[in-house]
Amino acid sequence: MVDNRQQWKAWLYLAPAIVLLLIFTVWPIINTVVMSFMEGYSGLLKAGGQASFSIGVNNFARVIGQPTFQQSLKNTILLCVLTVPISTVLALLIAVALNSIKVFQKGLQTVFFLPYVTNSIAIGMVFAAMFNIIGNIGTRREVISSYGVINDLIRFISGNPNPKNYINWINNGSDYWANMFVMVVYIVWNALPFKILVLLGGLQSINKQYYDAAKVDSTPRWRVLTRITVPLLSPMLAYVVITGFIGGFKEYTSIVGIFGENMGPAHAPGRMNTMVGLIYDSLEQNKQGEASAAALILFGIILVVTMINLWVSKKKTHY
Amino acid sequence: MSENTTKIMQARDMKKKGTTQKVGKVFGLIGVYAFLLIMAIIVLFPFYWMLISSLKSLAEYRLSPPTFIPRAFLFSNYIDAFTTANLGRLFLNTMYVGVVSTLLSLVITIFTAFAFARLEFKGKELLFAALLATMMIPGELFTITNFSTVISFGWLNTYTVLIVPFLVSIFYIYLLRQNFLQIPNELYLAAKVDGTSDFKYLWKVMVPLSLPTLISITILKMMGAWNSYIWPRLVANDEAHRMITNGLRNAFTTTSGDVNYPVQMAAVALVSAPLFLVFVFLRKYIMSGVSRSGIKG
Amino acid sequence: MKKLLSILLLVTMLLSVASVAVAEDAPAYDGSEVTISFYNTMGSNLTPVLDAYIAEFNTLYPNIKVEYTSVGSYDDVRDQISKEIPEGIQPNMAYCYPDHVALYNLAKAVQTLDAYIESDAVITRADGTTEVFGLTDEQKADFIEGYYNEGKQFGDGLMYTLPMSKSTEVLYYNKTFFDANNLSLPTTWADLEELCKKIIEIDPMAIPLGYDSESNWFITMCEQGKIPYTSATAPHFLFDNAEAKEFVKMFRDWYQEGYLTTQSLYGAYTSGLFVSTSDIKSYMSIGSSAGATHQRPAKGADGSYPFEVGIATIPQMDAANKKVISQGPSLCIFKDANAQEVAASWLFAKFLTTNVNFQAEFSMASGYVPVIKSVNQNEVYAEFLNSADGGDYISALSAKVCLEQADAYYTSPAFNGSSTARSQVGPLMTKCFTIPDGSDVDGLVDAAFADAIAECEYSIGW
Repeated sequence: MVDNRQQWKAWLYLAPAIVLLLIFTVWPIINTVVMSFMEGYSGLLKAGGQASFSIGVNNFARVIGQPTFQQSLKNTILLCVLTVPISTVLALLIAVALNSIKVFQKGLQTVFFLPYVTNSIAIGMVFAAMFNIIGNIGTRREVISSYGVINDLIRFISGNPNPKNYINWINNGSDYWANMFVMVVYIVWNALPFKILVLLGGLQSINKQYYDAAKVDSTPRWRVLTRITVPLLSPMLAYVVITGFIGGFKEYTSIVGIFGENMGPAHAPGRMNTMVGLIYDSLEQNKQGEASAAALILFGIILVVTMINLWVSKKKTHY
Repeated sequence: MSENTTKIMQARDMKKKGTTQKVGKVFGLIGVYAFLLIMAIIVLFPFYWMLISSLKSLAEYRLSPPTFIPRAFLFSNYIDAFTTANLGRLFLNTMYVGVVSTLLSLVITIFTAFAFARLEFKGKELLFAALLATMMIPGELFTITNFSTVISFGWLNTYTVLIVPFLVSIFYIYLLRQNFLQIPNELYLAAKVDGTSDFKYLWKVMVPLSLPTLISITILKMMGAWNSYIWPRLVANDEAHRMITNGLRNAFTTTSGDVNYPVQMAAVALVSAPLFLVFVFLRKYIMSGVSRSGIKG
Repeated sequence: MKKLLSILLLVTMLLSVASVAVAEDAPAYDGSEVTISFYNTMGSNLTPVLDAYIAEFNTLYPNIKVEYTSVGSYDDVRDQISKEIPEGIQPNMAYCYPDHVALYNLAKAVQTLDAYIESDAVITRADGTTEVFGLTDEQKADFIEGYYNEGKQFGDGLMYTLPMSKSTEVLYYNKTFFDANNLSLPTTWADLEELCKKIIEIDPMAIPLGYDSESNWFITMCEQGKIPYTSATAPHFLFDNAEAKEFVKMFRDWYQEGYLTTQSLYGAYTSGLFVSTSDIKSYMSIGSSAGATHQRPAKGADGSYPFEVGIATIPQMDAANKKVISQGPSLCIFKDANAQEVAASWLFAKFLTTNVNFQAEFSMASGYVPVIKSVNQNEVYAEFLNSADGGDYISALSAKVCLEQADAYYTSPAFNGSSTARSQVGPLMTKCFTIPDGSDVDGLVDAAFADAIAECEYSIGW
């Protein structure tokens, strides 16, 4: 039984957050729901004197009936399912490794801090240089200026210098799964610094006594990781996974970063579009009704996935 | 987990595998370093790109394939960056917004996370789930309504409009709550028995123990101020309040819509340098961890 | 009786139409103190010019305070204003493209200028001189016609914008290479094909032509060939036709032969390919006349350019129907409850677009060309044009070529959905170009066109 005094105190602690949330989060959400049921709602149309919009589910129907809806939904889900586990495991390994070494510890730790002060514009530009094949690939008379750093690397490592020894990652004629691979690499790599930071913070809050005990026993590293670190870090891991999924469903700018506004390779524009991409398209044309409907559809999907995540993490998390 | 079983198991293993383990350990260490080094190079690549881009001429920057080492190091880009953009003002604005919003946000985050992690109240689970759910709606849709709201508050072109709407971040509340949950419940119960008030316990025990996470939040929040662009441009795009990313995007745009990226990169590097130093200093606190002496787990 | 009634009805209808037209009157500026806001995209290279001329404007109208904001890119200006209009806090005037005005018109927020242009009210300036509030006949005639007509491409024949500074697409070519190999410039697309063949014979590693913007290309081809593209009245999207497919298929073949490439097909700036000093390069590049400095190679160690750049008009489909695109910002004025703010904005917009010295200085600083013919008589600008060469003064050269085709500018209709059409035809080109040999080219081209039309129709459909 929760006593009244504690109730009252809890709400006091929550008060500042709740007030701000009501104004800047809850109210916009209510507005989003309202707009999603106003058919064809547009702020500009309303300002132009259209006083009323019919109420109905047509916005939702239009979003789902959009020629690119299915592909966008598929891309969004695939990206999420692929990137979250990979980036989480990699970040965990890096954080644990960083935490365990002694020589060069400071130097290496500083290196992993540098991504935070890198401007986001630079991050987007790097990848073009890595995977992009510059030239008129796939034509009768191919003239290629550059195969990209990754293809150069493949040639170097495989020891086969033949110019034909390359993979068409993102250019004209490229395979859907090659595109997907690049996106996964890019998103994982983009997500790593944040996850490393969070997990390192979490690692530091683990009581050192557990490790001291393991040291005395000279428990193997792998065992320490799976038997001590992961269970004790599970709240942070749950956090990283759940927020990773939520963020993953909102993937958009990374696609623009690699494929440009066309959202796909030259022969298949729009092939890599995502749900948030659809929302942006609607917003650009000032169709807030449709954009809201699309956002709510996306919200429904994320909600289901997060419920599953929470349910799993409740079972597996050691608090 | 049972520590005793592990202990006995390990003791048995040790007798047999003394030397093998030593060799294994050396290899393991080499593996760890190799792994870290490779990941470091990968993670660092954009940073390197930012630096070399800031030293290229615009013509070289637009070359295909791109050069990995500038043909000529154009340090004049840094001078150009300083003279074209009002860097000082942009920096101060961003610093002010960054520091104030980080401090206020930390206080709110600590209170809220504490309530969710340690206090009991009706509807706690439901409220928390609802908060999580708000993260799932793409933020672009909030912009339209929030824009209306801040206009009706008369907040356009103020620092307030850059700080207040984003003080509460479910993202950070959730992160800190998870960290608070890591702290053993026994500590709290013991403090209760000692008659320590919740408030005192929060500031004397939980906050110090969560310092690494709080610093992580500080870093993320500060970088947020440095990278924020869409909202500031919408609501405070005047000389007196303009923020760094917004200012830098405008200053180096040529008429034909092209951006002079090298000079822009130089400007970015310049304004990020002080931040970098602060973070290197904070790193010590994240990495050194929290002394747990005297507290039983 | 019935006849009389219908005549009466007709008269009342006519009267009501007339009264609507009269209602759009243009109260002249009365000297009152107003502040007008002006959104633009000017970078730090242009704001000093604007500052200087705001000062000059203020010697004539000291009570009009101009506050301008550099919002970012053209799209940024559009996004900002379309969020501000529903809140009623939009600026008084702004840089705009026709598609933006079509968007603002959803809210009927843009002031039509016809009444202002026609106003013959005379107002007294601070220095004691007077001016006609509207445009005089000389001023109207001074505008380059193609630019001026852009203001009324919104389907209702009314004037919504004034041209501010303009550019077009021009053909940059490697003059050194052309001279050395006795190549002549292409005037038609057929010439271009022959030329590309010759260039490849000379340099087998070349991709002879780079075209910067696929969507410009598609729209320009439609104009050149009088092929339906879009219409301001429904049905809006007309580009799914045999002639359009024909030129797309022709260019597909050229792309497959390696004659040409575009930015998204090549994977990098086509200007970068043009100025490249490596083995793989292009010898021609079609891009904005305002971006001339990007089409100039970097100086070598001895301070000279590796080759000289020439600039010419783009190839045409039909020499008798020359068409080139018109780009660059116009000015639009927003409606306001305070008629004096609108009047003051009109005066300022008129000042910027008709002041010879401003147009000259702004053009030299920006790389765009002036919108009025009399700028050529400005001594400084004439000297600027005379200095034109393929090296240090390449901007002057591109301006010169741009001005020479003043009679070839076309405008395409702007309506709710025209921006979608524009953003669809670019990818449509690349999609068709990349259809590999041996597949069902006709079928795939048909499908690509049908998809693009479907996307366009979807965007306006309700």
